[in-house]
Amino acid sequence: MTSTASQPTDAAPSVPEHMSNLKVRASDRPWDQLTTAEKLEQVWADPPGVIGWFKALQNDRIGVRIMSTAFLFFVAGGINALLMRVQLAEAESTFLTAQRYNELFTMHGSTMMYLFAVPMMEGFAILILPLILGNREMPFPRLGVFSWFTFLLGGLLFYSSFIAGAVPDTGWFAYAPLSGPEYSPGIAMDYWLLALGVAEVAAIAAGVEIILAILRMRAPGMSLSRMPIYAWAMLVMAFSILFAFTPLIVGSLLLELDRRIGTQFFNPQAGGSPVLWQHIFWIFGHPEVYLQFIPATGIVSMVVPIFSRRSLAGYTWVVIALVATGFLSFGLWVHHMFTVGLPQISMTFFAAAGMMIGIPAGIQIFAWITTIFTGRPVFKVPFLFVIGFLITFVLGGITGIMVSAVPFDWQVHDSYFVVAHFHYVLIGGVTFPIFAGIYHWAPKFTGRLLDERLGKLHFWLYFIGFNVAFFPMHISGFLGMPRRVYTYQEEMGLDIYNLISTIGAFVLALGVAVFISNWFYSRRNGRPAGDNPWNGDTLEWATTSPPANYGFARLPIVHSRYPLWEQVSSSGEVDIFEEDHEPGDTTNTERLLQAMSEWPLRWRAALITGAVDGEPVEIFRVSGPSIWPAVAGVALVTVFGSEVFALHWLTILGLLVFAAALVGWHWPNQLPYTDEEREFEEKYNIPVRPNGSLTIGRWGMALAILLLGIALSSFLFSYFYIRLENPIWPPENLPLPELVRPAIATALMLLAGAVTWWSVNNVHKGNLGRMRLGLMLVFLLGAGALGIMIWEYLQLPFTWQLNAYASIFWAIGGYMLLLLLVALGMNLFVQVWAWQGLYTELDNAAVQNSALFVYGVIAFWIISFGILYLAPRFT
Amino acid sequence: MPQPQSRRRCIFSSYRRRLLLAILMPALFLAACADNSASMLTGRGPAAAQINTLWWIMFVVGAIVYLLVMGYLLLALFRRRGDRRGDDDEEEASEPDEGTGIVIWGGAVIPAIILAGIYGATVFTLSALKEPEIPEDLTIEVTGNQFWWDVNYPELGIRTANEIHIPVGQPVAVKLTSEDVIHSFWVPELHGKLDLIPGQVTEFWLEASEPDTYLGECAEFCGVQHAKMQFLVIAQDDEEFLQWVEQQQQPAPEPTDPMIQQGQQIFLGSSCVYCHTVEGTNATGELGPDLTHLASRSTLAAGTIPNNRGNLGGWIVAPQSIKPGSLMPPTQLTGPDLQALLDYLETLE
Repeated sequence: MTSTASQPTDAAPSVPEHMSNLKVRASDRPWDQLTTAEKLEQVWADPPGVIGWFKALQNDRIGVRIMSTAFLFFVAGGINALLMRVQLAEAESTFLTAQRYNELFTMHGSTMMYLFAVPMMEGFAILILPLILGNREMPFPRLGVFSWFTFLLGGLLFYSSFIAGAVPDTGWFAYAPLSGPEYSPGIAMDYWLLALGVAEVAAIAAGVEIILAILRMRAPGMSLSRMPIYAWAMLVMAFSILFAFTPLIVGSLLLELDRRIGTQFFNPQAGGSPVLWQHIFWIFGHPEVYLQFIPATGIVSMVVPIFSRRSLAGYTWVVIALVATGFLSFGLWVHHMFTVGLPQISMTFFAAAGMMIGIPAGIQIFAWITTIFTGRPVFKVPFLFVIGFLITFVLGGITGIMVSAVPFDWQVHDSYFVVAHFHYVLIGGVTFPIFAGIYHWAPKFTGRLLDERLGKLHFWLYFIGFNVAFFPMHISGFLGMPRRVYTYQEEMGLDIYNLISTIGAFVLALGVAVFISNWFYSRRNGRPAGDNPWNGDTLEWATTSPPANYGFARLPIVHSRYPLWEQVSSSGEVDIFEEDHEPGDTTNTERLLQAMSEWPLRWRAALITGAVDGEPVEIFRVSGPSIWPAVAGVALVTVFGSEVFALHWLTILGLLVFAAALVGWHWPNQLPYTDEEREFEEKYNIPVRPNGSLTIGRWGMALAILLLGIALSSFLFSYFYIRLENPIWPPENLPLPELVRPAIATALMLLAGAVTWWSVNNVHKGNLGRMRLGLMLVFLLGAGALGIMIWEYLQLPFTWQLNAYASIFWAIGGYMLLLLLVALGMNLFVQVWAWQGLYTELDNAAVQNSALFVYGVIAFWIISFGILYLAPRFT
Repeated sequence: MPQPQSRRRCIFSSYRRRLLLAILMPALFLAACADNSASMLTGRGPAAAQINTLWWIMFVVGAIVYLLVMGYLLLALFRRRGDRRGDDDEEEASEPDEGTGIVIWGGAVIPAIILAGIYGATVFTLSALKEPEIPEDLTIEVTGNQFWWDVNYPELGIRTANEIHIPVGQPVAVKLTSEDVIHSFWVPELHGKLDLIPGQVTEFWLEASEPDTYLGECAEFCGVQHAKMQFLVIAQDDEEFLQWVEQQQQPAPEPTDPMIQQGQQIFLGSSCVYCHTVEGTNATGELGPDLTHLASRSTLAAGTIPNNRGNLGGWIVAPQSIKPGSLMPPTQLTGPDLQALLDYLETLE
C-alpha cells in the first residue's frame, strides 16, 4: 500500500485518483457498484494508517484534535494554579520557592490565555461550523491540519521549558525591561517568546479559515440576516484574532531581537521605551480577552433559545452588540495602563471606552434573560452552565465597569480584586459557556449524550468551587494583597481569605475531574443521541450524530433563521431541501442541490455562496489529505524551537523544509476539466472548479495581505512611538536616509506592478505567452529592487544596535525585504508551472492570486518608503 | 439516498427542577473595612478617602444592578407559566420579536444612563485627585530597585531606604523612577498606585490624615522577590517629623569606642562598601540602600524582617535564606567580627 495520495494507479482506474491508497471500507465491491452515500463516504474519508493519521484533515477530526489539545493545556494550566493555591493557603508558606511560584503563575496565565481559550474556540468552530452553516467542509482543510500541528508542538515546546529547567518567569505579559536581555538572561524568555509565537501562528491560521467558512461557505439561502448567532460570534472572533495576534507576534519579534541581536526597541538608555511594549502587548491583550468572550456568548446564544424553546429575543441587537464589542475591544488597551502615568485626557477617554463596552454586554444579557423569561426553560446540563455563566459573568462585568473608573483602578490595579474580576469574566464568562457547548454538542462529537447526573454534579462542584475560590479574592485585594506575590505576611490578615480560595480551587478542580470521567464514561455508555436530541433549530441538528464525513450529502436550503423550527412542510415534516414556495414547483437552486448530491462523487465538492445573500456561486474541490501541512507545521515549530537554543543551522534547515513543504502543499494536482463538468455548468448555470476555487483563493490571499498589513501597521506604530520618545529625528546626529537607491527600487517595483497587471490581463485574453513573459519580467524587476535595497542596507552608516531609531529602521526595511523575497518565491513557483503550460484561460487561480500579493507588497513598500525616507525630510 | 431526517421527539422531560442559587452575599465586602494593616477601604488619606467614596457609589449602584438582573433571571427561570399548552413536544409559539423592547431598554438605554452617571463620578474624582499645592522642600524622590526602594529628599539632603517619613495632614510630592525594571508604588491606605518606569519620572502625591505607620508595596511584578519589596510610610506630627529630619541630616557619628571602631574597620574593609553608603566615611557604594541611618529604620530587606540585632546579623551572613534572589550577597565573617560589625551598625541611628 503506497502512502502518496496523489499518485493515480493503473490497477483501479475507476477509483478517484487521490483515493487510490484507501482500503475500500464499505465493501470490496468495485466503485461502480457502490451507493451514492458509500461513494461520498469514501471520497471524504481520511486515509488510514499511521501516515494517514498525519494526513487526516476532516474538519470534525481536526476540530476534536484541537479541542482535546486545548483541554490538555487547560488541565496543565489548572495544575499550575492548584500548586499556586497550595502555596498561598497560609502566610509565609514554604511549599514553593519564590522562583518556582513566579514560573507557575507565568505558565498558568500564558497557558490559559494562549494555549487554551482561543484554540478551544477555534477547534469548536472547525468542528461545528460546517454543520451549522450547512456545508461539507472548511475552506482550507490543510490549513486546519497545519494549525493543529503548529499549536500542539508549539505548546509542547513551551512546556518543555520545565525539562530544560528554564521556565519563563516574567508573567503572561512579559513586561520589558524585566523580560529583556539585561534582567532575564538565559533562555527562559526565549521559550516564552518563540514557543508562544509559533502557537499564535496556529491561531491566526485557524482564524483565516473560520472567516472564509462563515463568509463564503454557507448553505444556500443563508443570508447574513439568517446566520446563526454562533457564526456571527465566530466571525467577530476570527477577525479579532487577525487584528490582535498579529501585533503580538510583531511585538514578540521586537523583544526577541532586543534579546538576541542587540536592537534597542525597549531600552530607555538608547531611545527606546519599555512602555512601547505595554502598548503593543495590550493592543493585543485587551482584545484577547474579548476574543475569548465573544465566541463564548455565541455558544450561549445557541444554547439559551433551544433550552427556552423559543427563538433568541432581539437577534438583530445581539448581532450589533457582537460587532460593537469586537470594535470597541480594540479601543480599550490603555485600560490596562492607568497606573503608567499617562496624560489625564487619554485616561478619561479610555475610561469612557471601557464603560461603553458595558452596553453591548448589557444588550446580550438582557436578550438571554428575556428569551428565558418569554420561553419555557428546560433545566438540562447545558442550560445549567448557561445559568452559571449569567450569575458569574454579570458580577465580573460589573466589577469590570468599576475598574474602568480610573481612580478606583489606581487602587485595585494589580491587586487580588482584579484577579477576582477577570476570573469571573474568564472562568465565569468563558469556561462555563465552553462546558455548556460541550454538553450541548456532544452528540455531534461522539453520537452520544453526556450523562446528566454526572453533568449536574460537575456543574455544582464547578459553580460552587469557582465562587468559593474567587469571591474572597475581591476582599484580599481590598486588604492590600498585590498580584503575583508568592507569599504574604501574617499580619496582613489575609490567611483566612486565601485558605477559602484554596479550598474553592480544589472543589473547582474536582468538578473538572468529574467532567473528564463523564466524558470517558459517556463515550461508551452514554445514551445514543439521535439526530436532534434537544429539538434544536439550526442545521447541525439535521445531520446524523456523529455526522458523516461529508456532513451533508444533499446541502440544505435555508429560508428561515430557524430552519428546523420554521421550515415545516404542509404535512408537518421538517423540510430543509425546498425553498419557500408552493408545493410542486422546483427552483434552480433546488435542482442544483439535488444534482450536487449525486455529482461529483470523484472529488470533494463543496459549495461557495455569496457573502451577503448566501446564493450559490461556485462548486469547487476542497483540497484532500496531504502529508505536507503536517511537515510544514513540524518544520515551523523546529524553526522557532531551534532559535530558543540559538541553533541557527537547525533554524535554516527548518526554514528550507518549511519552504519545501509549502511547495508540496500547493503542488498542483490537476484534474481534467471534462465534459461532465461542462455539462453540469451549463445545466445548472454555476461554475464548477475541480482544481480549486478562484473565489476562495482570492479571499484567502486578501486576508493574507490584510494580515501582513496589520503587521506593517504594528511596525509603523512602533516607529512613531519611538519617534515621539526622541525629540530629534533621526536622533544622535544621524543623517537623513539616502534617497537615490530606494527611489530606484521604488521605480522598479512600480514597474513590476504594471507588468503584473499586463500579464494578468493577457491571461484573461488567452495570451499565455505574454503572461509567461510578464511573469518573467516581474521576477527580474523584483529581483533588481531586492538587490538594490540589500546594497542600500549594506551601505547604511549605522547598524540596528546603535539606538531605537536604527533598530526600527532596520526592522521595517527587513520586513519589506522579506515580503519581497516571498513575492519572488511565489512568482517563481507560478512561473515554473506557467512554463509547463499548466494554466489556461479558465484555470489560472495561482496566477491571479500571486498577482494580488505583488500589488499588496508594492502598496506596503510605498507606505514604508514614504515614512522611512520621505517623511523625515518634511518635518 | 439516505438523508438525515430531523426527528421531532425531544428528550426533555415535562417536569421542572427548581434551581437553588447560591449567591454569595456582597456584604462580605464590609469585612474588608476592618482595621487591617493595609486595607484600602480604611481611607486614611484624603486621596484614598476620595477613591473610597467613588467605590461605595459604584458598589451601591453595582449591587442594585446585580440584584435586579439576578431578580429578573430568577423570575425568568421560575415564574409560573400556567398550562398554556399541555403538550411539551409542541413547539412554543412565541413571536421572534417578543421581548426586543426589554432588550433595548434594559440592556442599552438604562445601562447607558447608569454608566454616564458612573463616568461623571469618575471624572469628578479624577479632578479632585489633582496634585494639591505642595511646598518645594516636601518633594521626595523614590527610585525603585530590585527589590528595595531608594528614598531621597533632595531639598532636605536626606537619603534613606524603604521608609518614607511624611508630616501628617500635609501633602508631599513623590517623584518616581526606576533604576532597573518597572515597579509600582502603592500605599493602599493613602492613595492608589503609580508605576516607576526606567528612563521616566512619574509624579505622584501622598497625604496621611492621621499619624501612623502605613504599609507600602510594590504592585508591579519586578522579578523573583517582588513579594518582598515593601516599604513603610511613617506619618508624624510636625514636631516629630522635624526631629526626624534633623536626625537624618546628620552624617554618621565617628565611633569613639574601640570595639565600635573595630566594627567600622570591618565594615570599611569588607565588600559592603561596594554597594552601600555611610555618609562621612569612605563607603559610597550606590547599588544598595544608604546605611547612614540604618539603625533608625524599623525593617530590613524592604519590609521583610524587623530590624533588630539578630535579624541584621542573619541578613548580613545569609541574605539568600531570608530573601532568596535578593541582590545582596552573603558575607563571610567570624563570630567576633560579626558582633563588632553589628555593634557599629547599631550606632548608625
